[in-house]
Parts: sequence; structure tokens; C-alpha cells
Amino acid sequence: MNTGSLKYIIKTILLILVISFLADKIVFITLNKISDKVYLGQRIGKINQYLEIKDDLDFIIFGSSRANHGVNPEILSKNSFNMGVDGTQIAYSAALIKLLPIQKEQVILLNIDTFNAFSKDYNGSDIDGLLVKYNRNKALKLEIDNLNQNNLIQNFYWSLSYNGLVFELLKNYFIDDSYDYKTYSGYDPIYVTKNQREIFKSIIKEEKSEDCKNNFTLNKIYRIKLREIKIFCKNNNKKLIIYTSPLFNDKCKDDNIQFSQIMKNEKLSYFDLTDFFKNNNSLEFWKDKVHLSNKGAEIFTKKIKKILDEN
Amino acid sequence: MLFNSFEFLIFFIIIFIVYWLLNNNLRKQNILLLISSYIFYAWWDWRFLSLIIISSFIDFKAGSKIFASRTERQRKNWLLVSLIANLGLLSVFKYYNFFAESFADLMNIFGWQPNDLTLNIILPVGISFYTFQTLSYTIDIYRKQFEPTNDIISFFTFIAFFPQLVAGPIERASNLLPQIEKKRIFKKEWFNEGIIQIFIGLFRKIVIADTIGAYVDTIYGNVGLYNSTTIILATFLYAFQIYYDFAGYSDIAIGTAKLLGFKFNQNFNLPYFSKSLTEFWRKWHMSLSFWLRDYLYISLGGNRKGIKITYQNLMLTMLLGGLWHGSSWNFVIWGGIHGIVLSIEKYLKSNPNFTRTNGLSILGYPITFSIVLFSWIFFRSKDLSSAILAIKKIILFDFSVPFIGNYYLLINCIILLSIGILFDLYLFNKNIDLENFGAKFNMIKIAIITSIIIVLINLFYSTSNNFIYFQF
Repeated sequence: MNTGSLKYIIKTILLILVISFLADKIVFITLNKISDKVYLGQRIGKINQYLEIKDDLDFIIFGSSRANHGVNPEILSKNSFNMGVDGTQIAYSAALIKLLPIQKEQVILLNIDTFNAFSKDYNGSDIDGLLVKYNRNKALKLEIDNLNQNNLIQNFYWSLSYNGLVFELLKNYFIDDSYDYKTYSGYDPIYVTKNQREIFKSIIKEEKSEDCKNNFTLNKIYRIKLREIKIFCKNNNKKLIIYTSPLFNDKCKDDNIQFSQIMKNEKLSYFDLTDFFKNNNSLEFWKDKVHLSNKGAEIFTKKIKKILDEN
Repeated sequence: MLFNSFEFLIFFIIIFIVYWLLNNNLRKQNILLLISSYIFYAWWDWRFLSLIIISSFIDFKAGSKIFASRTERQRKNWLLVSLIANLGLLSVFKYYNFFAESFADLMNIFGWQPNDLTLNIILPVGISFYTFQTLSYTIDIYRKQFEPTNDIISFFTFIAFFPQLVAGPIERASNLLPQIEKKRIFKKEWFNEGIIQIFIGLFRKIVIADTIGAYVDTIYGNVGLYNSTTIILATFLYAFQIYYDFAGYSDIAIGTAKLLGFKFNQNFNLPYFSKSLTEFWRKWHMSLSFWLRDYLYISLGGNRKGIKITYQNLMLTMLLGGLWHGSSWNFVIWGGIHGIVLSIEKYLKSNPNFTRTNGLSILGYPITFSIVLFSWIFFRSKDLSSAILAIKKIILFDFSVPFIGNYYLLINCIILLSIGILFDLYLFNKNIDLENFGAKFNMIKIAIITSIIIVLINLFYSTSNNFIYFQF
């Protein structure tokens, strides 16, 4: 290869890097401006709302979609928020819990799904849901880096923070500017449609026997994050209550027993509510085997309230 | 090592630099290509490297022997050695369990239940591709269309060349081997074309195909749950998922090769813009369809032995082409559908009454697309019963609102797919081959276009699945 060709390659690559870097920053800053005004949607709006109101809350619920759709915080406390987000687990919740203000008295209700807690494969990748704040919030960046869930390239191309979020962001920014986020409690009840009910019936009909786990070693990340949450709550005047949401028909009991034991050993306040609907079950309470309908959630929240009153 | 992985980026940068530094020494360059190709392959499973080496060695020898043989019988024998060795390995690793299961099912019909005959065999990545590639070498020599090489490094590099090793394009020896044996010269135009094609390929794969794939996987994961509208929508999306997945892979392969100074043949040429299935197969996975035409259809006699044999050959070619994709009856049926329609087209083409109705040829586009769409049901379904269930569900004509699932995912699918189709329409209208698209741009324009694609990829890429064609 002659020098001319070599120069051409280097120049082209450098030019691509420079232009793409600048374009990336322009896009990133523009999307930040838009994003900061969005309070709709789970993946950006809800995080924005949480970051804005977290210091004033008395009661906060964390966990996956089972927490999000299953507990109505308004029944539990006037100054409350449900920070449950679809597909998230302990890493996501822990990162957000640790952003809570120090020394303010707050109650934290944390949903843990026992079948996830014993999973060998869980690697904390649910924290990716916070990548949108990666280049803007040092504490969250550290949490993501510590779990090795960072994308190396994101240090160069910051707009990766908005990967897969652009259309949702634009829709929420442009379509509904009358939305008043202050009235939103974070709870998203599921109103089951006739079609969804039929699908659920078909699923139950086709239900096969389940292979239950027989290895109950708590996932390493669950162990670490539970400890971190426990220490944070203890040092910062937070009351931590952990629970497991109901299942339509839980066929594997050993994971619940083992998890209860671990919680007991850790001296954590834990309530296993997997079988809450066992003796009084109805299809009306469910959207599917793991998610409660609005009707199920209302009944379940009353149970949570009772637990809180007793503790 | 996937093309859309960080490891590949690092791997390729290192190879690219060292490769062009060795530009004054062709042999060293080829050794580098061979070693890097084996590393690339071993990244999946080093154990299967032995298969490529065995296959390469047999065909290197067989090629020389065919060429040196004095009698027709000797030439035939050496060709048979190559065919048996290559197709034998392919049969064992890819088809043994399929035939064993099919045999057991057949025996069940007659009331005999044989013991489990299946073996715990893993399918080596890319075996179907490199088997066809290496067979083209010995067959071409047998047909006296190509002379064997004496350089074992060049030949082994031809078989294992990493841009096309695991999923094609299936390059003929007549195209690739002379390029390996000849000094490569760095060309700015090729560099531009390669860069642009790589990034467009990446966009097609990790932005369009993988986004669509998330919706398609949900529906085809359990077709029994969904209504007709949903299954038709998922099949429609799958048609574009597989196209952008495989065409995207081919783009990256062709672009990568170009950066190293090699020119591969075009593998996709806007196949859904076809007025007939015959035209579709001239534009879809061209390296395979031309291979099947030249080495199977023509070897069977092509259209030289009368109309009846022609249809028979066409059907057989397409059935085997289907089976090449995977060891399942689904693929055989998929090939069968294409074979039947191609035969009908051949018949209609030979009918003078039909050729007069050319004014209606515009209808060929939707008709061809619908046939391809129907056949994709078999291709995508996980087994035959799922494919039949999907068709039954469609025939119920339950055209109520489709299942949406993740609302934003579907919006992403539709918008990104629209971008892909609009770009394809642009290429179609302007009659531009993507392979040459980058040639007309200067450095600044290349950098701007690439940067725009990078930003789009950053904003819209989806968690990558494997490339669909890796399983074949």
C-alpha cells in the first residue's frame, strides 16, 4: 500500500470518528432537552418523575411489572409512589433505592420474585433500563459500571443512552402535553380485555407440568444487592419490607421456603404472598399467570395495607 | 465471532492493518488470511476446524487428481471421492438425526417402534456453505471449466476466507481463487464501497431485522394463541426480517472483503421487487440459487431432456434446495412450494396465450410476494405442526385487531421497516446496485453518510440475535 492510500484510509476513519462524535453529541443534547420535559412512559418519564419527587415521598414500591401492576400506592399512603417497572429486578431497584435522600424517614416496599432470585443466569442486566441516565447521573453510572453492564462504546457515543427510546420519547413529548405527572402514582392497573382473557384461558388449558428447581443458591447479584439495600436502609432511616407477589398457580414451593429462610437469616422483614389468592381465586383477578388485573391488584393492595398496619 | 460484535471490530481492525502492511508479500498476506479465518471460525467452536481442514485437504487433492487423470473413469472416481467426502460429512452432521427420526416415524406407521436412533450431534456453523463452496471447485475442474491450484495455502484460504465462511455468499473457485492468488491493490473506490456497504448491512441487520424479530418471535413462539390478522402481520414482518437479516449479513461480508481487496458476487438484489418467482430466485440468495442451477439442475439434465424431465428436475432442485436450509420437513415443503410455482411459471411461459397478457404483468409483484409470504410460514415455523396450525388460524379469517404486545416495539418495527423499504425503493428506481453505491461519494460524503448511519444504529439497534442463516 502506498503512502497516499494509507493517508486516505486514516483521513477517512478520522473524519468518520469526528463527524459521528459531533453528530452524536448534537443528537444527545437535543434528546436530553426533550427527555427532561417528558414524564410519560415507564422507560424515561417514570424515571424522571421518580428523580424529581423521590426526596419528598414517604412510601415507595420497587420491583418488576408484578409490583407495578399489583400494588396501588394511593391506598397505602397519600405521599407514595410505585416505582415498579416492567422487566426489572433487584439491580434496577437497588440503584434507585440508593438515590433516596439520607436520613429522611421512608418506607420501601420491595417485590422480589423468588424464581428469579435463585436463577444462575441473572447478571443484573435489568439495570440497562437506567442507561438513559448513564452519561448524566454519576451514581447511576457507577452502579451500571459495577455490574459490568456498561457499553464501552457509550463512553464515546453518548446517544446510545437513548437506544430504542426515541419514538417513545417523541410520542410522549409531542402527543400529550396536557398530561399532569403529579397526579400519577406510578401504579398501572391492568384492565383485561376480552381477547386477553381468551388468550389466558387458552394458556391455562395448554398448561403443562413444571420442572421445579432443586438448587437454591441465592444468585450472587441478588445477595450483594439485598445486602446493599439492607445497609442503605439501616443507615438512612428507611423501613424495608420485602414481599413476593401472588402467582395464579404456583407449583414450585421450595423456592419460596428457601427464600423465606434466607430472609430470616438476614433479619429482613419478608412476606411471601405467592399463594395469597389460592383459596379465593378467580380468572377475573388475573391478566396472566403472573400479573394481577386491576381487580386482583385492589384486593392485594388491601392485604399489603393490613401487613403494613400490623408491622 | 459475529460481524455485529465488538470482538469482530477489534479483530478486523488488527487484520486490516497487518494485512495491508504485508502488501508486498502475497504469501504472507494469504497466510494471515488463513490464520485469521481459522481464528474467526474457532471463536464459535474450535473442534469443528478439523472438518474444514479435512474437507479442504480432500478437495485440494481431489482437484489435482481429477485434473491429472488420464481416463474419464479416473476423473469420475476422484470426483466421487470429493462428493462422497463432502456430502458425507454434511449428511452426518446435518441430516443424520433428521433421517433417523423420519425413518422411525415411518416405521411407526407400520407398527414397529425402533430404538432411538438419533445421535447427540451439534451442527457445525457454516458447514452447508463451505461444503457447497468446496464442491464447486472439484466439479468445475471435472467439467474442465477451471484448473486446480498448486498452492495449498491459497486453496485453504479460499475455503475458509472469513468474510464468507459461515453464511456465504457461496463464492465459486473461479471468482475467488484467482483473486487470492493475485496481488491485491488497495483501491479507494472499493474502500468507499466497502465502508458504505458494511454500515448499511449493519443497519439492515441490527436495526431493522433484529427489531422486527422481537415481534415475530413472540407470535411464532406460540401461534395457537393469535388471530388471523396477527399471524399474517407476523409473517409479513418475518419476510422482511429474514431478508434484512441475510441481505445485511451478505452486505457486511461483501463490504469486509472489499476492504481487503476482494470482490464477491452480489447475493441479493431487491428480491421482493420481482414479477415472478423465477425473477425472485435471480435476486434472492443468488449465490445459492445459481449454485443449485449450475451444479444440480444442469447436472440433472436441466431443460435438455424434455418438458416432463424439466419439471422433475426443477422440483428436485427446489426440494433439495429446501433441505439444504435445514433438516426438517418444513424446509422441504418450503422448497416444494417454490418448485411447484416455478414449474407453473415455466409452463405458462411456454404457453403463447399467456405471453400475450403482458399488460397484466404488474400484478406479478403482489402475486409473487404473496406466494413467497405463504412459503415463509413453513420456513419460520418451528415444526410442521406449528406451520399447519398457523395456516389453519389464518383460514379461520378472524380479522379482529391484531395482538400488539409492546406498542413501542411495533411502532419501531413499522418505522424502521419503512426506512429500509424506502431505501430499497430508491435503489430500485435508480437502478443502483448497493455493491457500487459508495463509489460515487467523496471522502467527506462517505464520512457524513457513515456518521448518520452510526447515529441511527446507536439510537435504534436491537439486542442482536444470531444471524438467521447461521443455523443452516
